[in-house]
Amino acid sequence: MPPTKKSVVSRSSAGQAVFDTINREKRFRNPPADKTAFPALQDAIKPHVDSWNAVFREGGCLHQAIQDIGEKTVFDKLDGNEETGYGNKLTIRIANYYLGKSMLSSRDKTAMKREIYPAECRERHVSYRGQLQLELHYKVNNGEWQKEYRDCGLLPLMVMGNRCHLEGMSPKELVEHKEESEELGGYFICSGNEKLIRMLIVNRRNYAMAVVRSSYAKRGPSYTNMGIQIRCVRPDQSSMTNVIHYLTDGNITFRFSWRKREYLVPVMMILKALVDTNDREIFEGIVGLDQREDTFLTDRVELLLRTYKTYGLYSRYETLAYLGDKFRIVMQVSPDVSDVEVGKLFLRKIVLVHLQNDGDKFRQLLFMIKKLYSLVAGTCAADNVDAAQHQEILLGGFLYAQILKEKIEEYLFNIRSQIRSDLMGGVKVEFNSPQYMRKMLGKVNERIGESLHYFLSTGNLSSPSGLDLQQTTGFTVVAEKLNFYRYISHFRMVHRGSFFAQLKTTTVRKLLPESWGFLCPVHTPDGSPCGLLNHLAHKCQVATTTSDCSHIGPLVLTLGVHSAKVLPVPAEATLSVQLDGKILGWCSPRDARRVADCLRFYKVEGTHNVPKDLEVGYVPVSNCGQYPGIYLFSQEARMIRPVKYIPLDKEDFVGPFEQPFLNIAVTDPEIKSGDTHVEFDPTNILSIVANMTPFSDFNQSPRNMYQCQMGKQTMGTPGTAIRHRTDNKMYRLQTGQSPVVRAPLYNTYGLDNFPNGMNAVVAVIAYTGYDMDDAMIINKSAHERGFGYGTVYKTEKYDLAEKSKSKVPQLAFGYGWAPIGADQQTLAKFKAMRDKYSGTIDDTDGLPMVGQKVVEGDPIAVYHNMGTGETFFFKYKSSEDAYIEEVRVLGNDVGDTICQAISVKFRITRSPVIGDKFSSRHGQKGVCSQKWPAVDMPFSESGMQPDVIINPHAFPSRMTIGMFVESMAGKAGALHGFAQDSTPFKFNETHTAVDYFGHQLRAAGYNYYGNEPMYSGITGQEFHADIYLGVVYYQRLRHMVNDKYQVRSTGPVDSRTRQPVKGRKRMGGLRIGEMERDSLLAHGTAFLVQDRLLNCSDYHQTWVCRGCGSFLATTPIVTAERRAEVRCRRCAVRATEFDVGAKGYWEDGLGNRYLGGDNTTVVVIPYVLKYLDVELLAMGIQMKYDVSP
Amino acid sequence: MQREGYVPPTAGGGGATRPGGYGDNPRQTAMKYLCADCGKSVTINKGDPIRCKECGFRILYKERTKRMVQFEAR
Repeated sequence: MPPTKKSVVSRSSAGQAVFDTINREKRFRNPPADKTAFPALQDAIKPHVDSWNAVFREGGCLHQAIQDIGEKTVFDKLDGNEETGYGNKLTIRIANYYLGKSMLSSRDKTAMKREIYPAECRERHVSYRGQLQLELHYKVNNGEWQKEYRDCGLLPLMVMGNRCHLEGMSPKELVEHKEESEELGGYFICSGNEKLIRMLIVNRRNYAMAVVRSSYAKRGPSYTNMGIQIRCVRPDQSSMTNVIHYLTDGNITFRFSWRKREYLVPVMMILKALVDTNDREIFEGIVGLDQREDTFLTDRVELLLRTYKTYGLYSRYETLAYLGDKFRIVMQVSPDVSDVEVGKLFLRKIVLVHLQNDGDKFRQLLFMIKKLYSLVAGTCAADNVDAAQHQEILLGGFLYAQILKEKIEEYLFNIRSQIRSDLMGGVKVEFNSPQYMRKMLGKVNERIGESLHYFLSTGNLSSPSGLDLQQTTGFTVVAEKLNFYRYISHFRMVHRGSFFAQLKTTTVRKLLPESWGFLCPVHTPDGSPCGLLNHLAHKCQVATTTSDCSHIGPLVLTLGVHSAKVLPVPAEATLSVQLDGKILGWCSPRDARRVADCLRFYKVEGTHNVPKDLEVGYVPVSNCGQYPGIYLFSQEARMIRPVKYIPLDKEDFVGPFEQPFLNIAVTDPEIKSGDTHVEFDPTNILSIVANMTPFSDFNQSPRNMYQCQMGKQTMGTPGTAIRHRTDNKMYRLQTGQSPVVRAPLYNTYGLDNFPNGMNAVVAVIAYTGYDMDDAMIINKSAHERGFGYGTVYKTEKYDLAEKSKSKVPQLAFGYGWAPIGADQQTLAKFKAMRDKYSGTIDDTDGLPMVGQKVVEGDPIAVYHNMGTGETFFFKYKSSEDAYIEEVRVLGNDVGDTICQAISVKFRITRSPVIGDKFSSRHGQKGVCSQKWPAVDMPFSESGMQPDVIINPHAFPSRMTIGMFVESMAGKAGALHGFAQDSTPFKFNETHTAVDYFGHQLRAAGYNYYGNEPMYSGITGQEFHADIYLGVVYYQRLRHMVNDKYQVRSTGPVDSRTRQPVKGRKRMGGLRIGEMERDSLLAHGTAFLVQDRLLNCSDYHQTWVCRGCGSFLATTPIVTAERRAEVRCRRCAVRATEFDVGAKGYWEDGLGNRYLGGDNTTVVVIPYVLKYLDVELLAMGIQMKYDVSP
Repeated sequence: MQREGYVPPTAGGGGATRPGGYGDNPRQTAMKYLCADCGKSVTINKGDPIRCKECGFRILYKERTKRMVQFEAR
């Protein structure tokens, strides 16, 4: 292909329902060298990559985090106090950080290319990491800052982030680096696995939320269930939640948690500490001029002011000193800092941390108090924390930055404690000596990279502060490349938090109208995560930068807003105008509407420096509804989506906070007066996967949910770089096809690169009797032509270093040797061993031969101890036959050792068999029950035979009309040779789908309604009814009998109960439970119960004493006549020497003499009974059995 | 799997024991692999570190066996 046609290659058929086969082929042969053909895919994972970039760019979150950490100090005198002095003061801080790309260690001398690309990490089962370096500054007393660069380990890097080699590569280059042509990134590679940090739903930042929660009342005596909660987010994206609580007497306390402990402070103390103020100012700040007659409010404010008098703190400095004194220990500040400074630090680090200015904090706190009293008075409603309106998304990159920040801070604390332990240990501490500093720093744990790696590979958060999150586990998931739908869904998935999964109430799971357009209503799993695990609608984006809002403050003042700094505000100015939790001013309800409208107009128009993604949340005055005001949001982590702004006919971005107060029409004809916006497309509310369900508006909604589930379990095409992947388990459909019936979005997202099923001719008919209960019949000839043929790839790493546990390799691949001087027999045994395994193992290197078949128990690789020459094998453990597909010999980073690890990829063929699961795209799953010979299949008048037969009973109760429509559309498309558009909401009552596709069918010479006469394949007679025959896209699901079937006659048993173990993996049995037992009894087959529950389970014969009814007292003896007998110790009596030889005389193993106890017999019992007997005996309970006859 | 593997004739024939009681040690100790990066054939001797001799890359692929691989197609 000549290079001039590059642009043609990157042209896509986005937004058109066409096959576009030629271009697709061109793209495959010649990946575009300029840009990707599918930018929509890149947009889909954008939140992940962009959040990473926002953290690690110049001046990004991490730089801000380092600023926020600040300086730590330590003294070289342990018992210093104010009089004696504290000794020398060492101040430490992190000034900067450097994060490198993934590079080979400098110890490697041979490699030409130093870069480590992601593909190599996957193939070698290692992590994709870059060197993290911190620039540590320290100074002694007031000396100069000294610089020290510390290596802090290898930090996992996000693929396609700004520290990745692949960033900005064209598809062509990506393919050259063994990636998918449409590699998206957004994940980390941990030990060869692709891990991603999943998006979490958290409370909206910087918005004071009115919350009524019964747990608030449990804070202490006189606490009520009402409070105002605000989640404040610092510029580095770490957050701090502040709550003010209402007490029954009208007082208010301020609550926060610091290092996982909760603290309560009177809110007045905070107010007084923030600014130099007086009671009048506070009163005026809370009680507006219009509320002076409101005795409910004034009474409470009066009480607030009066009760605070008991503290006797009048000035700001007194208050700061008081706070500083109380929180000195908690804040871990150095002893030389004054109480007032500690108080200021407290305000900076804890109180409304999103604001830097104390005056802003003061005003926001007053606003919160106002809102709280309003909530208590019932003049405003509580905000719904479960609604998308009050939520935002915690992005992976930002969470990563928060953890990193905490680890860096911990590092500084570690340095401090190392110095202290040196002091206590009597080590000579000299801050001015570089030798001491070097040595001391060497002892501090600097492995920050490792702790982040631990976080990514386990998903567990180990943090001293808890990061203001409600969970500590489950933050990361493996991005499984089962098929592309599943893969892309991982990146669009938002989780509500595992805390809510345990909640018994279902309120958090409800689908609320506020989520419209942000979270897909269809795409959520059924079962336990239902409603908690949502997916973003495909047009929904997440903001990852703060927009420039420096002009908004002055702008709103020109629009008639009264400045917040002048108190009291005019009586009519009752609504606050806030930008990201900062009060800009107050305005009247009438002006508020105008201000909000102006801001929106300006932002869509792009004038007055109003950023386009600014969220203008105008909450109008209502009758006891949400607390009114104008709330502007411009920061990160907000969900935003595009809609059309009607006045300017331009794109506007709306957020979930403002959406409930906007009138957004769904379609153009629906626009009525007062509507400001209209959706670009009604399908914008659906996720990528939900959009792929054809004609989903014809289906009953749960069926669409099931399809979203099953689409992600389909055996499809995970990608084209399979050769370079080493996933533990990967499914692949060999005969994938492009669907005839598809939405244009299918092309937009380039899903033809990853086919997920096959077009099948489907007849809806009860034909063979093998199609009951969702069973389906596959045409045997279709099967032989490759219908649904699939493959499973499994990769196994065989590591010798893991086995030897020593740094110097002790084991090596290949056969060992017989000891020197071994006899001929041993040598012959050696030779026999080699001959026996020569089928799969290569003699020279001891590794498997590529292309060879292996069955259970076959050796995969042979290795030996280099010292002793002893030979060992790695065996193939699975019961399924496999073929060796690839063998990788893995070197280490440095390149100084012999082969210590290999990676073997097995190929397991999975031709469809009876019992495998298939489904159409309408939640209509079925199990293959027969492969019916083609000669016996029914045929149509044109001689067509169906590939698949399904039973008509699959439809009436499930009402998947979409499947009928798809069948017709597919048939018409196949006959005319074009792809059909299956976008939902395209047809209506006057323009019906049946008409549209019926006409196409008629034009092709077929029955208008899609059914046609058919003939029995067995008798050749025409059926009495016409049969519905069409083309439906079928998916093969990954649930296959070969992974599921379980059968045993005898096998492993539990050592304690001697009953069969459970579990397929352990060759266990299937349990006949209570209900199964009932069923057997009801069938009158009680003997089967006996057989299953005793004979085939823990059948046991044991001796029992008829006399005392005990199992456990019986003991085997040898009588004087040398006969083996069993006697009961309990019933026997001690014999004397005179009884020797008497009737019934016996001796036990110790020589004790007994008489009698010979009334014993053998009975059959379940073995557990005996176990129960022993357990009860241990508790001092004896069981007695009546034995008869 | 019961199958006769076809072994291509190698110089000297297979399976001669070395003197000194070292069991059945192979004479041939070098093995050829393909470099995963540059694609060149790499000879790795026993005791050599795993590295491409040309480019220093750290992954080597084992070549498909030269032996005839035959299965029953059922």
